[in-house]
Amino acid sequence: MKSYSCGNTCTWCDGCGNYGIWAAIKRSLVELGIPPHGVFLCYDVGCHGNMSDKLSGYRFHGLHGRVIPFAAGAKLANPRIPIIAHGGDGACFSEGVGHLVHAIRSNYTMVFILHNNANYGLTTGQASALTWQGQPMNSAPNGMPEATLPSMDFVFSLQPTFVARGFSGDIPQMVSILKAAIQHRGFAFVDMLQACPTYNTFATHEWLLERVYDVAADGHDPSDFVRARAIAVDTSERISTGILYQNTAVPGFYERLKSREGIQTFPVEEVQKYDVREYMQELV
Amino acid sequence: MNRISLKVTGAQGQGVNSVGEMLARGLKDAGYCVFGYREYMSLIKGGHSSYQLDISDAHIGSSEQMVNILVCFNHHGLERNIRDVKQGGIVLHQTLDWEWNTEDARWLQGHQVTVVSLPTEQVLHELKAPPILGNTFLTAVVWSFLQQDCGVLESLLRGRFGRKGERVLQMNIDCLQKACAYVASLEKAPFVTLPATNVRWSGHMLLTGSQAMGFGIIHAGCRVYAGYPMTPSSPLLSFLADMQNRTRMVIKQAEDEITAVQMASGAMHMGARAMTATSGGGFDLMTETLSMNGIIENPIVIGLAMRPGPGTGLPTWTAQGDLLLAVHSGHGEFPRCVLSVSDAQDAFDLMPQAFNLAEQYQMPVIVLFDKHIAEALYTQEFYDQEHTVIERHLPDTAQLQELQGADRYAVSSASGGVSPRWLPGTQAATYCAQSDEHSGDGSSEEGAQNASAQMDKRMHKLEALAAQLPEPELFTVHRGQISEVRNAVHPEVLFLGWGSTKGAVLDALLELTSDNSSLIAGYLHYTYLWPLKTDRFSLLSQKARQTILIEGNKQGQLGMLLRQQCGIDIPKKILKYDGRPFCTDELHELLSQFISPTSG
Repeated sequence: MKSYSCGNTCTWCDGCGNYGIWAAIKRSLVELGIPPHGVFLCYDVGCHGNMSDKLSGYRFHGLHGRVIPFAAGAKLANPRIPIIAHGGDGACFSEGVGHLVHAIRSNYTMVFILHNNANYGLTTGQASALTWQGQPMNSAPNGMPEATLPSMDFVFSLQPTFVARGFSGDIPQMVSILKAAIQHRGFAFVDMLQACPTYNTFATHEWLLERVYDVAADGHDPSDFVRARAIAVDTSERISTGILYQNTAVPGFYERLKSREGIQTFPVEEVQKYDVREYMQELV
Repeated sequence: MNRISLKVTGAQGQGVNSVGEMLARGLKDAGYCVFGYREYMSLIKGGHSSYQLDISDAHIGSSEQMVNILVCFNHHGLERNIRDVKQGGIVLHQTLDWEWNTEDARWLQGHQVTVVSLPTEQVLHELKAPPILGNTFLTAVVWSFLQQDCGVLESLLRGRFGRKGERVLQMNIDCLQKACAYVASLEKAPFVTLPATNVRWSGHMLLTGSQAMGFGIIHAGCRVYAGYPMTPSSPLLSFLADMQNRTRMVIKQAEDEITAVQMASGAMHMGARAMTATSGGGFDLMTETLSMNGIIENPIVIGLAMRPGPGTGLPTWTAQGDLLLAVHSGHGEFPRCVLSVSDAQDAFDLMPQAFNLAEQYQMPVIVLFDKHIAEALYTQEFYDQEHTVIERHLPDTAQLQELQGADRYAVSSASGGVSPRWLPGTQAATYCAQSDEHSGDGSSEEGAQNASAQMDKRMHKLEALAAQLPEPELFTVHRGQISEVRNAVHPEVLFLGWGSTKGAVLDALLELTSDNSSLIAGYLHYTYLWPLKTDRFSLLSQKARQTILIEGNKQGQLGMLLRQQCGIDIPKKILKYDGRPFCTDELHELLSQFISPTSG
């Protein structure tokens, strides 16, 4: 854990779910034996993005809503390095929702952690697409008129290859989820339900704690797509957590590229002067 | 210089490009410099389109507005294009029942234009050949009128259709023979005499600006290309995609332009050479990422293929309206480099340079080009690959061991604002590529002193870059010859431009100085547009009797930038913003107004 520590002080509110997620990420990397120089951690903008300088490792902290394509581009350039991209529910289901759609469809091999606190924390508590309908929020004093986006149903409709749900109050479970996600071939979507003690007064830490259950303990088979979707979507009484669905048979995007078949090197190792004489000859 | 121009018109999808390409290839092989220019509308089938070839024994890099030969696939060309025909020119068409209205008939007679209606349909019927073979018939008729050897065309057809089977090939050869026989049977065939051939052209390539840029991108070691379709950048995406199984590049058609530029940025950050290209609207979407690359000091190369805006504008036409966009886009202040392609030569040469500059200065490099360059057909000699150097400016293994995370964005005035950059995944101290204002290791840092110091550091790179970039290139034109830059000679009339205008301006000046042997004209061409070098311009414009700005936009954007940077205003301007490129004959006429003895 020490190799991932960093001198900067955390700036999250007391009780913020990011503390738990932060610890789980570091621990999962250490348990997998990945050194700080062997990982690339990408952050969107939001409270979670303030993790970017609170741990060690190669990191990137970019623009709101755009973390997925930057991380995917990095992965294409150097598939050897595991990539964990982080985004909030604002970035993922509003500003950059198109990127999520195409990342699942393309099955880029990377982990995406959805920091899901059901509101825009860093901009002081506006509603996100995952805030409950009718909930009064900053800039919506009369309650949200829009319907809550059914995020899990939406993700499952895109034929994902890995879907998990964690809870910021359960570090050991998050570690086991993240280790599996990092080792997954393809796009691993990890929905981390996290408490926001300052702005989320509806789905609080305690509220979540009362409802979450571990699907593994329940005997769930993560290869069962239909069952996985059903327990992911239905959160009316209990909230399923753990690895909900995994399909290891689908190749990642890079593996699908015919142009790269049979090549042992990766684009980062191939930057050099290329001779185009043969191509020029064909245009005479 | 002797030049002949020929325009093929017809409905999109009718074979206009096919005839244009066959003629271009044949004429280049025969020993001519060919310049091809396409016009078409933003639709797939049926729109009126044209393919023009300008043909010369000497180098040409532009089209003429008025043509010697007009070939019309259908009656639309007869309605719309006959006024494009020169005095004494020829119109070939295949609309047998066409009747000219009185006005057009009088115009044709007054301009001594010969009209020939071709029995294409009848010939195809006799040969039991499908309508597509009409392309070959038309090509061969034009070929015969140009008094070219039918054997040359035959071998071209064998090369082009040989793979499609004996029957297809034979039908093409039959069409060729029918065409030759038809022309021979004409009592008064309107033959056109081309200048003498020059064997050097036959060994040249015939390629579009997009292909030229594509070659440059491949040559420069770019390994990842992400793009989203938008004319006129799409041909570059298509070309690189078609080449991917040979180049082994990673080609990604992204879900939008933001994705394309973010992916290219991520790939470049990781250490590959990566690029994207788009047109104005797509570039607008990329500008937030442009700014992000500015603060994280990430090298990125973005191609910006200009077409007329605003909005969707004229999607399939050309413009130079995005210079100020390239220079000023993106929020906040950050350094960037803007280069501009002008022809098939620098379309290739600038690409390794763009990547080298991006990596040396860790900043975005924007490469401007336009629809005219992207789709024009150039006769181009083989590129010099010997002198290309790939400069990455990355630390070696020993240097990596010495690095601290805080070195990544360390403020040090000695290095011209450039701090060490090393790649994620390398065994070294780690850092954060931080889009928030940051301290040396990329930790978020909002202190006042740090904010100024980091801004100064980044902007300092612009000064170092400016010192490295060359001044604009001066072409001195005298007695129909372009001479090397001679500092002792100050052109009396100075023309100023950038981008694809170069070809037309130089062609026009060659003609103009042939007509006027005492004239020493200068053309100052800007390839490196930001940071903008102004010393040579200031000096030359002070010495010149007059200075004229030539640009393909409404406001004279280079003129605006020059005034911004050095205070010199250029009141005389030739500006064009109708979607069409400058043509030689058009410019010849416009430029001569400035050099007549009464002017200035």
